[in-house]
Amino acid sequence: MNYNNWQISLKDSDRYDLNNIENYIKTSGFEALKKALSMNPDAIVESIKKSGLRGRGGAGFPTGMKQSFTKRSCDNCNQIYVVCNADEGEPGTFKDRYIMEKNPYIVIEGMTIAAYAVGATKGFIYIRGEYEKSIQSMQHAIMVCYQHNLLGQNILQGSFSFDLEIYIGAGSYLCGEELTLIESLEGKRGYPRIKPPFPAEKGLWNKPTLINNVETFSHIPFIITNGSEVYASIGTSESKGTKLFCVSGNVKQPGVYELPLGITLRELIYEVCGGMEANYEFKGALIGGAAGTFVDVTFLDVPLAYETLKEKGATLGSGAVMVLDNTTNLKGLLSNILEFFKHESCGKCVPCRIGTTILYEHSKNISNVDINWMLQQAEYMAKNSLCPLGQSPILPIKSFSKYFNN
Amino acid sequence: MSEYVTIQINDKPIVAKKGDNLLKVARENGFEIPGLCYHPRLSPTGACRLCVVKIAGVQGLVMSCTVQVTDGMNVIAFDEELERNRRHTLAYLLAEHNEEYDATYVDEFKPLIEKYQLLNTKERPIQSFWQNIPRVIDDTSPVLTYDSSKCIRCFRCIKACEELQGKGVLSFADRGIQKYIVAGLANWGDSECDGCGECIQLCPTGAIVEKPNREVIDVNKIQRKVITSCPYCGVGCQIEVWVQDNKIVRINGVEDVSPNYGRLCVKGRFGYQYANHKERLTQPLVRKNGKLVPTTWEEALTIVAQKFAEIKQKYGNKALAGYSSAKCSNEDNYIFQKFIRIAFGNNNVDYCTRLCHASTVAAMIRSLGDGAGSNSIEDFETTDCLIVIGNNIIETHPVTATFIKRGKQKGQKIIVIDPKWTPLVKYADIFLQPRLATDVALLNGMMYVIIKNDLINKSFIEQRIEGGWETFKQLEKVVMKYTPDIVEKITGVPEKLFSEAAIMYATAPTAMIATGMGMSQQTVGTNNVFALLNMCLITGQIGRERCGVNPPRGQNNVQGATDVGASPIMYPGYIPVTNEEIRKKVADIWQVPFEQLDPNPGLTTLEIMDAAHERKVKAMYIMGENPVVTDPNQLHTIEALQNLEFLIVQDIFMTETAAYAHVVLPATSLFEKDGTVVNSDRRVLRLRKAIVSDKNIWPDWKIIVEIANRMSINIGNYNNEEEIWNEIRQVAPIMSGISYERIDKQGIQWPCWHEQHPGTSTLYTEKFNTLTGKAKIYPVEYQEQSEKPSVEFPLVMNSGRILYQYHSATMTRKSEVLNTFANESYVLIHPEDAQKYNISNHAKVKVVSPRGELTTKAIISDEVLPGEVFMPWHFHEAPVNALTRNEKDPISKIAPFKYSVVRIELV
Amino acid sequence: MQNNKNDENNFEILNQFRPERTEILKALHSLQNANPQHYISSDAMKAVAKYFNITLGQVYGIVTYYSMFSTKPRGKYIIRLCKSPVCYMKGSFNLKNYLEEHLQLTASTENISADGLFTIETTECLGHCEQAPAMMVNNTIYSNLTREKIDEILHALKTNNYEL
Repeated sequence: MNYNNWQISLKDSDRYDLNNIENYIKTSGFEALKKALSMNPDAIVESIKKSGLRGRGGAGFPTGMKQSFTKRSCDNCNQIYVVCNADEGEPGTFKDRYIMEKNPYIVIEGMTIAAYAVGATKGFIYIRGEYEKSIQSMQHAIMVCYQHNLLGQNILQGSFSFDLEIYIGAGSYLCGEELTLIESLEGKRGYPRIKPPFPAEKGLWNKPTLINNVETFSHIPFIITNGSEVYASIGTSESKGTKLFCVSGNVKQPGVYELPLGITLRELIYEVCGGMEANYEFKGALIGGAAGTFVDVTFLDVPLAYETLKEKGATLGSGAVMVLDNTTNLKGLLSNILEFFKHESCGKCVPCRIGTTILYEHSKNISNVDINWMLQQAEYMAKNSLCPLGQSPILPIKSFSKYFNN
Repeated sequence: MSEYVTIQINDKPIVAKKGDNLLKVARENGFEIPGLCYHPRLSPTGACRLCVVKIAGVQGLVMSCTVQVTDGMNVIAFDEELERNRRHTLAYLLAEHNEEYDATYVDEFKPLIEKYQLLNTKERPIQSFWQNIPRVIDDTSPVLTYDSSKCIRCFRCIKACEELQGKGVLSFADRGIQKYIVAGLANWGDSECDGCGECIQLCPTGAIVEKPNREVIDVNKIQRKVITSCPYCGVGCQIEVWVQDNKIVRINGVEDVSPNYGRLCVKGRFGYQYANHKERLTQPLVRKNGKLVPTTWEEALTIVAQKFAEIKQKYGNKALAGYSSAKCSNEDNYIFQKFIRIAFGNNNVDYCTRLCHASTVAAMIRSLGDGAGSNSIEDFETTDCLIVIGNNIIETHPVTATFIKRGKQKGQKIIVIDPKWTPLVKYADIFLQPRLATDVALLNGMMYVIIKNDLINKSFIEQRIEGGWETFKQLEKVVMKYTPDIVEKITGVPEKLFSEAAIMYATAPTAMIATGMGMSQQTVGTNNVFALLNMCLITGQIGRERCGVNPPRGQNNVQGATDVGASPIMYPGYIPVTNEEIRKKVADIWQVPFEQLDPNPGLTTLEIMDAAHERKVKAMYIMGENPVVTDPNQLHTIEALQNLEFLIVQDIFMTETAAYAHVVLPATSLFEKDGTVVNSDRRVLRLRKAIVSDKNIWPDWKIIVEIANRMSINIGNYNNEEEIWNEIRQVAPIMSGISYERIDKQGIQWPCWHEQHPGTSTLYTEKFNTLTGKAKIYPVEYQEQSEKPSVEFPLVMNSGRILYQYHSATMTRKSEVLNTFANESYVLIHPEDAQKYNISNHAKVKVVSPRGELTTKAIISDEVLPGEVFMPWHFHEAPVNALTRNEKDPISKIAPFKYSVVRIELV
Repeated sequence: MQNNKNDENNFEILNQFRPERTEILKALHSLQNANPQHYISSDAMKAVAKYFNITLGQVYGIVTYYSMFSTKPRGKYIIRLCKSPVCYMKGSFNLKNYLEEHLQLTASTENISADGLFTIETTECLGHCEQAPAMMVNNTIYSNLTREKIDEILHALKTNNYEL
């Protein structure tokens, strides 16, 4: 199988320095934008819907639906915002960084098309503060786009105007959660808001807001240029298109790989990444990051797609694949993950604030872990917590207990 | 017009207002769903997770506090699973919680611990670990202490400060298990916190507790909690007074009742110490051999009665006069004016309103027909555009200001017009800073802009203004002289700013004005208000809901005192003393011969003092006022009092004025009174006795009646305050429909013509209260001040109030809390002037005017304009009124407290 | 008039931003970066409150929420060692011990090495897992760390004392 057939987010990035706009344009960059600006905005939304594109941030919500919800919420409203979630904080995940560092214009192009489609005139890219290089490359790309009339007033001499600026995070995993990100964007502490209303209805400054992940936006130009059918022909029945997989751990060639959804773990590790490092034996993987699920060898031939993993009680999440081997201290790893949740809990709701604390404290004593007690707490937290953070510890704990508790 | 929906909770059908909060609806219908972060006055938070319910068709558990009811909603509020989850949540909370309890506050958490059987530590599923969490105690505030170990991180204090008070002082610091509440940079005492204590009132677990009486208070020993009205400004906040051992130990705002809906300011919550203060007057004093010595009531009253009679006989009835009091109840004031009119036989009764909103009232009565505010306090939140002119409303009417700040959060436009920066500027869209006493020019200039831009309301002018278009044309002729360049030159306000403000006001769908002392206390005070009303009338921003002009009143009963007739020109209910028919009716009710009632207007406050100075008035009866500190030109006032043959002062403390009295009579404080007051939006509110006064301290009205009795004059005999009130209802038709029973829980706004009448929230919606039913326009010209800065006195001094002290500070300076915040006089001086006169920050300086001088501390600040200085007037040791003059506005007779020329020298 | 000087500097930085709340985090980054000790001082927080017309408590709340900000002075070089699951698996814990020993300094935002050069912090995932273990020194990422590599980096930082 040729795994480079369908490069979308990272298209041509291995051949050219795409931080140079000349190169981006040379490889048909901004063609999609030109085409989009000549289209009816509703037709764009339709096309995105038909493509089957799902949010690449982790939740996998259909992107076209999000766009039409946002549009629908703006009956008589005077402002819609578009926000790019580049607060990539999920442990084991580094794909958005790749895109921003290697292909920044595609993000801007995708956002601009989305803005045009939903009728937004103002956008923000929320980049985590630790990503200095991403900040630099996006900042530069935005500046150049303004110089080339690809952003700002009357883009490409047309009637559409769109302003885009960068917002820099400052160290908070929770701000990757969309409503929390919006709170942070408003210059506040990162607290999750009560859902509903969703951002599509009441987002930034309570205005309808389209918020998508970097990778999601980077797929939009492709769909516009090639049509939704072509896009939908990639991937599986319910997971269309390509995905950036972030492979880490003791494999020969860890890294970011853009591949069609539906590839198996075995293919990913043994064909794409060159197999396990010498002397290490595949034991399992943590897929989707800290808020992800452990899998064991029985998953090697399961296609990595939303529906197939869900069927087996696992999640694709952000596309992080942390490969575990026979030397991995699994209980230590679990404790490490729980420490992470404790550190990142904002403390707003009781189950998460106290639950993440007692789970971590309990897990520290590796020789004496009562996994059933932990499951009880995590289940209670999943039911009673306010936002995804408190609802997440159940994922690694439950899958850990299923596959590794021996 | 609300829509109703039917929902089901545990199979019980319930009708509720569409969109109402589910938790609130459930609780109102007997489902005691637990919850600690929810408070009916705050936006839902969803933090404590106790109010979980299940809703058919909704996945998982739902926090009922975050749900609005919709038709057909099927809710399960109680089942085994929900209760199990709640118990687990409580167990979590308990694990991080310090459970020590000292009974100084009401704990909302404890009953839940009991209910869910978690009292026994062995039965708790989670072990306590609160001692492993860093404990933060902030004890730096003068009014409260925060202890993170008792905090359940419910957000109620943060939201109380932000959403209710509009201050946003509080925040969480840190995150996760370690987060805690901060004010300022983790130092409450150094923060913007002004001590209103809203956070204390809303804290459910005693994490924020108040400092005063912390060693004394025991919630199990509270004798009673009495609801009465606040003794300070004219907002009329409803307070719940906690009494222990006949001492006030705590005050809370009364939840859910107008006008304050639970909110208070620092004075209302903490300024109660004066009532139980050891310096209270507890027995009558008479002057013997030049010294005031204690005596019996019998002797004191006999002397007073004899002296009054003697002077009346010797010099005629014009030789007596009285100062009534804005701090006393309606019943006290009514009896006082009745006494003056019957026993003295003249109309020489007035009070501090003459030094306050007299100009406002004079202009409003002439122009609109009523001297009171046209709107309700709630309208300050909902109007689209608000002009606050000459009113430092955040400091002088803090709770009214909370409505404005809440309006701002919803997008209200705010225009502040003031020669001195005020805290409201932080919230304002436009701030105009005119030079002192140039208001007429500014307002005429704004009308010029309005007319030029054709933003007048023609149909309003034609239909609701006397003389219609023609009158408008006369006004136009005057204001067209005030071209922007001329106005800019006179006022110093840039054209761009006042044009923007004028257009913003004129084009707002609804707009209100709050005017204050800055406008009123000038020799051109009445003209100032006329100009303001003209602008309001030509734009038609009055006579509709959420439109109008309002003078927030400075004292708790300054409105009521005039309403019940403490006025030289008006009988109770705003009926001119010159009206013969009414005099007859009143004489009838009072059972006195009609001829005995003087048909001529009496002397006003300052005229009385002048007459005393000229030895025309020989005897004065002062009830609850302190003119030595509050009247202009202090030297003149003291001389006047010294010239009197007989002065009685009836008060709660030995005041600066009482020092000149021949007889001093101890009266009850507000906390020892039954009765009523009227607040700024014409709401009649109850006073209720909270503490029992010393037996030698008498209610004001009772003292007056006893004096009359000893003069063998019948001014009525009453068993209680309610009987007096019912007489007021007969005399003043605007109060007819208001009975004690009707205002037991909520006040009613006059006019209220009969017992079925709901009261009047907005005045003039149908007609104005003038004879013709139409409003009148009085075109006015800008006039220069007679007193001008000179080489000798190069600066102009403005004076005013601050949040933490109150008027002559007789009451507030008895409060340690308030004194901790501010207990020192100062003069604000602009940096340029400071440099010019070589004055450093905090330097001790002498402020000298043509009338007198005082010593104070200089504070360099750009809150004032160059050439102008500002002083708070509360401090008797630096008496601002030693510098002011007693020149008067020709119509309202007010003195120019806001404009005195001075110089400042280093001491 | 040390204070006024600081104030001037702070406001000079703040004036680059629109006085709107969406600019606060950027402004705080700039203030922190401009401070040789990489922290946000009380004066800076007061300036932020004034510039953005919010309260001190709100500023303090924001600063202490985000882990990249500090209210306490730090070393010239802030070493942020990644402790995320991948780096953990790749032995970041040992590297932390090594760093602490080497610099005679316990990892904590509140500690500065005796020479004033270093503060060690641990951080959540830096997003360089394919090159784990990783750390960030001020704004520069160092990855595929070994003890030897750390020795080199520290040596370079100490001797050249170069600006990062």
